[in-house]
Amino acid sequence: MKILSCIKPVADPASRFVINDSRTWIKTHDLTFVASEADNYALEEALRLREKQGGEVVVLSLGGDEAAKVLRAGLAVGADRALQISDEKLRSVGEFGTAEALARAVEKDGGGDLVLAGVQSDDLGTGATGVLLAEFLGWAHATVAIAVDVDPGTRTVRVQRELEGGVIETVELPLPAVITVQYGANQPRYASLKGIMAAKKKPFVSWTAADLGLAQVETLFDTKELVVPEKKSRVEILSGTPEEAVTLLVEKLRKEAKVL
Amino acid sequence: MILVITEHRDGKLAPTTNELIVFAQRAGRDLGIPVHAAVLGSGGVALDALKAAKIERILSVDDTNLGAYDPKLYVHAIKAIVDKTGPALIIAAHTTQGMDFMPRLSGALRTPLAAGCVEYEKFGDRLVLTRQVFNAKMNLKTMPKGNPPWLATIVPGAFPGDEVETGGNPEVETVSLDLTGVTPSRRLLGRSQAPKGDVDLASASIIVAGGRGLKQKENFSLISELADALGGAVGASRPVVDAEWLPREYQIGSSGQTVAPKLYVAVGISGAIQHLVGMQNSRCIVAINKDAEAPIFKVAHYGIVDDLFKVVPALTKLLKDLKG
Repeated sequence: MKILSCIKPVADPASRFVINDSRTWIKTHDLTFVASEADNYALEEALRLREKQGGEVVVLSLGGDEAAKVLRAGLAVGADRALQISDEKLRSVGEFGTAEALARAVEKDGGGDLVLAGVQSDDLGTGATGVLLAEFLGWAHATVAIAVDVDPGTRTVRVQRELEGGVIETVELPLPAVITVQYGANQPRYASLKGIMAAKKKPFVSWTAADLGLAQVETLFDTKELVVPEKKSRVEILSGTPEEAVTLLVEKLRKEAKVL
Repeated sequence: MILVITEHRDGKLAPTTNELIVFAQRAGRDLGIPVHAAVLGSGGVALDALKAAKIERILSVDDTNLGAYDPKLYVHAIKAIVDKTGPALIIAAHTTQGMDFMPRLSGALRTPLAAGCVEYEKFGDRLVLTRQVFNAKMNLKTMPKGNPPWLATIVPGAFPGDEVETGGNPEVETVSLDLTGVTPSRRLLGRSQAPKGDVDLASASIIVAGGRGLKQKENFSLISELADALGGAVGASRPVVDAEWLPREYQIGSSGQTVAPKLYVAVGISGAIQHLVGMQNSRCIVAINKDAEAPIFKVAHYGIVDDLFKVVPALTKLLKDLKG
């Protein structure tokens, strides 16, 4: 079985973000890039499926040095080879352009049985790219997976999805399929020193937009600006003794907020 | 025209429907275009709430092929509606279902999808859709370009569902589509509720949540008593669940449930970002915490900075006295 696992490099969420001068994105030049957290769960799921079913795990990422870095990390925890899509033309193409480039790369690499990706990224955070990728590949998909089980005999995959309000849904899809993996679906492994050394010798391919036949990449949005959200409320502190404060609170909840 | 794709389960429209209608009514007025709401299903969905709303039309697609939700059938059906009606903007809720078909629809139509919108505005003659990014720490204002329809998913709780303009008399149009030959892309094998007892936080209109400030498990009764007095549900922050004072299904936040009730009372919760993203869209937030610097006060509407062990019993007693 061939599984491709997508990894998005994102600015380390633990850093302090500063908006850039054109107010279109954050300043990234002095930030550390890491794999978007949910993508780690996707890769772990891919490695476990390979351990059960045999086959290979290919890690796939779009971007420059930051993508190369997360791909090397993916190889170090056990992926077999890496595909990087690196092209200035593909910078800031959003979910749509990213999914299109990923789809072309999957096809150029000869397709596969499964593509896994994190349920959403730590920057744009919308969970759109994986589903778009499925559309561009013409494959079935399932989102928010907490368990993935492949039946090679029937060429199907069973997925447990975590929906709102604690509802767990089980669906069966035909292979090939794209599955987005939920945070906490498993316990991602760490790279061993041996793994890090071995990663240096694993196949690593880098493609440009032209290699993928993407002549013109259009973005579908103009950015107006990136802003820190205005505080939608300015808290009103109710003072006095506990009895006075709660009396005032109930009155405000009834007459001002009208929620009681 | 703004096309609202409603969400429903067991014949009932989801609470997000009214929020989508509020977005559409406001944006529709600003852009000078009417609102249509589509209901895709089988066997009848109760349309009463929509019929009261001031919108132009309800498009009812009642087709046995749409009995169980499937993204492929949804995309097929919506594309057919788009061909017939030519909407300028298509919106759905930013939920696991909305985000299951809207990206595919965007790919199929090759039009922009602004996922996770919390606000919109006009900038000259352009539509600006504001999306939450970086785990809601920042907002990205984007302007879709190219030919409509443009797509957006609206974050639950971002628009007040109880502010729907009523008094409309929308025409109900029954739309028949030819979905024969479109095979579902997946098979539903089952749905189960993670063991939850009486935990139904998503639909609770009042939630009282307790945090680490309660110090020990036994003190959590203060939270349940206040919840009882308010007629609300009990929730918790992650430390409470990690300490096993309450089971995981009570957890509110990025790794638990996302809620947007009418009233959210946070007791002894400092307000880590992981908790805030799960509740900050609540309509009215009350924080009770003895630390005036706690981040929870940044999202709260009303705050009491005092010892929760004094404030909470006083509040519970007052509410009981007022009732009885």
